[in-house]
Amino acid sequence: MKQFTAFIQKEFLEQLRSGKAMILGTVCCLFGIMNPATAKLLPWLLEILSEQLSENGMYITEIQVDALTSWTQFFKNMPVLLTVFIVLFSSILTAEYQKGTLINIVTKGMKRWKILIAKLLTMFVFWSAGYLVTFGITYGYNAYFWDNNIVLNLLFAVFGYYLTGLWLISVVLTASCVLRSSSGVILFTGAAFAVSYFLGLLPAFREYVPTFLFRSNDLLTGVIHSDECLAAIGITFFLTILNGFLSVLFFDKKAI
Amino acid sequence: MDILKISHVTKAFGTKKVLNDLNFSVPEHSVYGFIGQNGAGKTTTMKIVLGLLKRDQGEILVNGENVTFGQNNTNQYIGYLPDVPEFYDFMTSLEYLTMCGQITGMLKKEIREKSIELLKLVGLDADHKRIKGFSRGMKQRLGIAQALLNSPKLLICDEPTSALDPMGRKEVLDILSSVKEHTTVVFSTHILSDVERICDRIAFLHEGKIALSGTLEEIRNIRKGDRIELEFLTEQDAKKFSELCAGGKKTGRTKLLFSKKTERDMLEMMKCLLQNQISVVRLERLEPTLEDLFLEVIGK
Repeated sequence: MKQFTAFIQKEFLEQLRSGKAMILGTVCCLFGIMNPATAKLLPWLLEILSEQLSENGMYITEIQVDALTSWTQFFKNMPVLLTVFIVLFSSILTAEYQKGTLINIVTKGMKRWKILIAKLLTMFVFWSAGYLVTFGITYGYNAYFWDNNIVLNLLFAVFGYYLTGLWLISVVLTASCVLRSSSGVILFTGAAFAVSYFLGLLPAFREYVPTFLFRSNDLLTGVIHSDECLAAIGITFFLTILNGFLSVLFFDKKAI
Repeated sequence: MDILKISHVTKAFGTKKVLNDLNFSVPEHSVYGFIGQNGAGKTTTMKIVLGLLKRDQGEILVNGENVTFGQNNTNQYIGYLPDVPEFYDFMTSLEYLTMCGQITGMLKKEIREKSIELLKLVGLDADHKRIKGFSRGMKQRLGIAQALLNSPKLLICDEPTSALDPMGRKEVLDILSSVKEHTTVVFSTHILSDVERICDRIAFLHEGKIALSGTLEEIRNIRKGDRIELEFLTEQDAKKFSELCAGGKKTGRTKLLFSKKTERDMLEMMKCLLQNQISVVRLERLEPTLEDLFLEVIGK
């Protein structure tokens, strides 16, 4: 446990002192504020554009803005936040290979699986904290301006996105145990996402891929029900844990 | 007891065989010099001992336990100083040593005391300066401190002095010889004067094998000096003597070098000097240097 605590302390210190924690915090706050702000500014923006649009024969009637508009924006921005997160953390292991900093740690008798679990936990904590900040800010503003209760399955949709984030983080870790460059890790993670997405286009797999949990709009408007997502949740959980196991297996024999 | 025993180890990178049936053992409480040209396989050997590289064949025992590739339990007995030690540059030296101490399972109080003691030994301050601003020499010193932190039974240093200036080299060598009582030191190098300064035992690595090994005295005794050098007062004396005694090679204005000469030949030369009333500045039987042996081993 001592080894693990020491290494996780180092991981947190690194994120804080390298400025990554600050970048993530700023981006998360910005996204949190942007969602309700975009919804709030939408009627005003369209009013400015209406004159130009009417010249082209398009007429804008009164725009109804509510919590749903803001939450739709939230789920539109989430892939961008997730991408920023993956790019920020794609070098969590590869930078250590390139600099050779793990050599001292491993030759001190540190168990390799502890290094991995510390890295995974660090990413999970930062993802959870960042996600909670974005969600909390958006939720607070939405409650102040409108009524969050009009949105269906909100927490469920939010959880789905969060879980998919965890899955992609576990993919980042597995890729980092196989590849040596952060660009390779980003590409690998992107490829995993693409496989899930394109597989989901086939009716037979539609409900059984992690990316099914990205259909938040359908959940919010009641087009799909939460129980339809259970299979995808189970599979995403399973894949996340599987990635963890695979990472430990690969990393145990990795030349560092 | 041997702290490190390497038996029949081979390692190839692609078609290039770097280690070819490598055998040697290191007794406890010695300073073992591991000598070889650049690219001879010194770093490869060390990385295999640490479980950082996979060997193709053979067995390695550290403190009597088998070394495995990857997760390697014998690393608990080893302190390792890589040729270019790399640290987390966002940490201070004390923070880094504290983390290393926790990883090796030392007690909090023990970590603090030992860290400060070692930082003092290697000449670094336990201040708030981050490793990011450290010079190469400072990193090398911190590398030694981290390697010695858990009082390892075996300290492996990969070319610890090759990147340092003469002052830094002397300090690092002094530190290595001062820890000999508690720790066995294996260090690789191609700087032979370092070896002569601190090693008890040496091994020459050439073409993936140990070409020559033993104590420093044993190695020197393998080939007794058979060359005689004479230095004369004047050039005329040197010329006159070379006419009297054939086979001398002029190595300077007043110097002559004779190869493959026995003790009897030396006495004959002295007799000749006396008979012809030639005085000399110096008459010396040259002992082979490690460099000569090294060049002989690698066939140059």
